Amino acid sequence: MTTTLELPSTREEAWRWADIDALRRAAESERAVPVAGADRFLDLPGARLLFVDGVLDESASILGTVQLTQIDASDHPLGRQALGRGWSLRLDRDAVAEPVQIVHVASGAANHLPAEIVLAEDAAAQVYETYVGRGWTNRLTRVKLAASARLMRAVRLLQDDGFVSLREEAELGEGASLTATFLAAGTMGARIDGGITQIGDGAYAEFGGALLTKGELKQECAVALRHAALNGQSHQLWRAVAADRSQASLAARVEVARDAQKTDGEQSLRGLLLQRTATVNLKPELEIFADDVKCAHGATVGELDAKALFYMQSRGIPKPRAQALLTRAFVADAIDRIGNEVVREAFAADADAWLEAAL
Amino acid sequence: MTMLKIENLHAEIDGKPILKGLTLEVNAGEVHAIMGPNGAGKSTLGYVLGGRPGYEVTEGSVTFDGVDLLELEPNERAAAGLFLGFQYPVEIPGVSNVQFLRESLNAQRGQRDEKPLSGGEFLKLARAQADGLGLNQDMLKRPVNVGFSGGEKKRNEMVQMGILNPKFAILDETDSGLDIDALRIVGDGINRIMRAPDKAVLLITHYQRLLDYVQPDRVHVLADGRIVRSGGPELALELEREGYAGVEEAAA
Ligand SMILES: Nc1ncnc2c1ncn2[C@@H]1O[C@H](COP(=O)(O)OP(=O)(O)OP(=O)(O)O)[C@@H](O)[C@H]1O
Ligand SMILES: [Mg+2]
Repeated sequence: MTTTLELPSTREEAWRWADIDALRRAAESERAVPVAGADRFLDLPGARLLFVDGVLDESASILGTVQLTQIDASDHPLGRQALGRGWSLRLDRDAVAEPVQIVHVASGAANHLPAEIVLAEDAAAQVYETYVGRGWTNRLTRVKLAASARLMRAVRLLQDDGFVSLREEAELGEGASLTATFLAAGTMGARIDGGITQIGDGAYAEFGGALLTKGELKQECAVALRHAALNGQSHQLWRAVAADRSQASLAARVEVARDAQKTDGEQSLRGLLLQRTATVNLKPELEIFADDVKCAHGATVGELDAKALFYMQSRGIPKPRAQALLTRAFVADAIDRIGNEVVREAFAADADAWLEAAL
Repeated sequence: MTMLKIENLHAEIDGKPILKGLTLEVNAGEVHAIMGPNGAGKSTLGYVLGGRPGYEVTEGSVTFDGVDLLELEPNERAAAGLFLGFQYPVEIPGVSNVQFLRESLNAQRGQRDEKPLSGGEFLKLARAQADGLGLNQDMLKRPVNVGFSGGEKKRNEMVQMGILNPKFAILDETDSGLDIDALRIVGDGINRIMRAPDKAVLLITHYQRLLDYVQPDRVHVLADGRIVRSGGPELALELEREGYAGVEEAAA
């Protein structure tokens, strides 16, 4: 079955680095036997959800406090295609949930799934997601954090093929905290598309991660972080490593509304080229309408430090291993921000495995 | 027994000749000092022996323990027992000293078909070497050389040498940047680690003071890419008194 996909055009500025062709190819691919997914759950207590092509595999899942329900639609060009029923984590005031893990297995063609995470005042949650398989996987995740609610989130994209697109929409209330880390360490195309708004005073947002690309792959993040209230803090730290003829693009924007005085927004976008044939695009943007704000931003692209490489080799480390260690150190800035140790180590191992294969 | 044999070595950087027919032999059990004016090519010699990319050998040969050294990759040279103490040790943000050295040691052991050391075994060794050189244990956990003072970097080079336990060390101005106490500690360290009948050292230095602790068997003067004079320990004292003026004239 072929559907006519309504997709954005790369002539639009916000989509200029999107690999719409790869997405379309993935969407039109044939379904195959799904790969295993249950072995991707980490050794953590709490809920475990396994979705195969967007459908819950109940026998392999433990829902805990998570429910399946109708999710509000989005008007985002990709997000709006993930319609209808999806998973929902809602926590009452002061509730603290055990970690929620979600593994998404895709077997080909297209699959869509919406989700929501809604935390009442002072509630705290951790949500960790893993994507494996092939085909086009499209997700909408809506996050609403009430005053002082805290969400720790980490997402790894490990598909062997195809394309993963994530649309993340978040609203942060007063003193709420969102820390989200994304790692793309598979061999699929990807777009991580975020719209985060701080609507309450003193909110805190970390939104960043690492994209690792090789072959002919194209991956990107496109994130807008909006400060609409006083005393907000945000950090967008992204790292891109590009090998072969691949392309990794980081577009991150900070918007500070007129009333959002005392905003502290940090942006750090850095790219590393493993070969000169690869491309890293960086687009840091600041749009500031308040006058009393602090926004630090840095954007650099470079190659591995030749002096450090020789130093390591002179101590006995073979060149590919030295390259892997230096690259890993470059990516660590992003991954080390994951607060949960088990998750952090798993993500680090994924990055290592990617590097071992790429170098 | 000859350990390192350099014959008529010519090398250039970016097409610019730096080493211009350098000949030198070092026997097992010996310490040789190399002195010479700034820009003479002393560090270049160290880098060429270490195999640094961009340093092109255009003529001559180097044999190490009977093997053609120039045919080996830098990491293979290390595994063969060569250690290069850097004049300017390199900072590696994001890689801890412990990880760096454990990787190094186990990579060398792997290339020599020896079993890798476990984390515990390695830490014990690393702590002992750090103690021996008065390097704070905490510095082992820090990223390699990042934020280290000049003297700490040099001590760290010696800790690395202690852990890797090479057969042949080329130490490029390991004494520069060291305070008086550190100089003695480093000197003792070099003697402890490298004074053995089956080991040898090439000590590049500008000053006699390190040679008070690590007594050389031979002293050479490197000027304009060649060894222009060789002698016993007394040559270093003479140079300290009279400078290089006489030596360079003699070479011309
Ligand atoms: N990358 C380079 N490109 C061009 N010339 C270089 C390069 N590196 C070193 N040289 C030159 O090679 C010559 C020898 O340098 P080297 O560092 O070996 O001297 P040295 O004897 O160690 O001096 P010092 O006592 O100051 O440490 C110098 O003239 C230096 O400018
Ligand atoms: Mg020098």
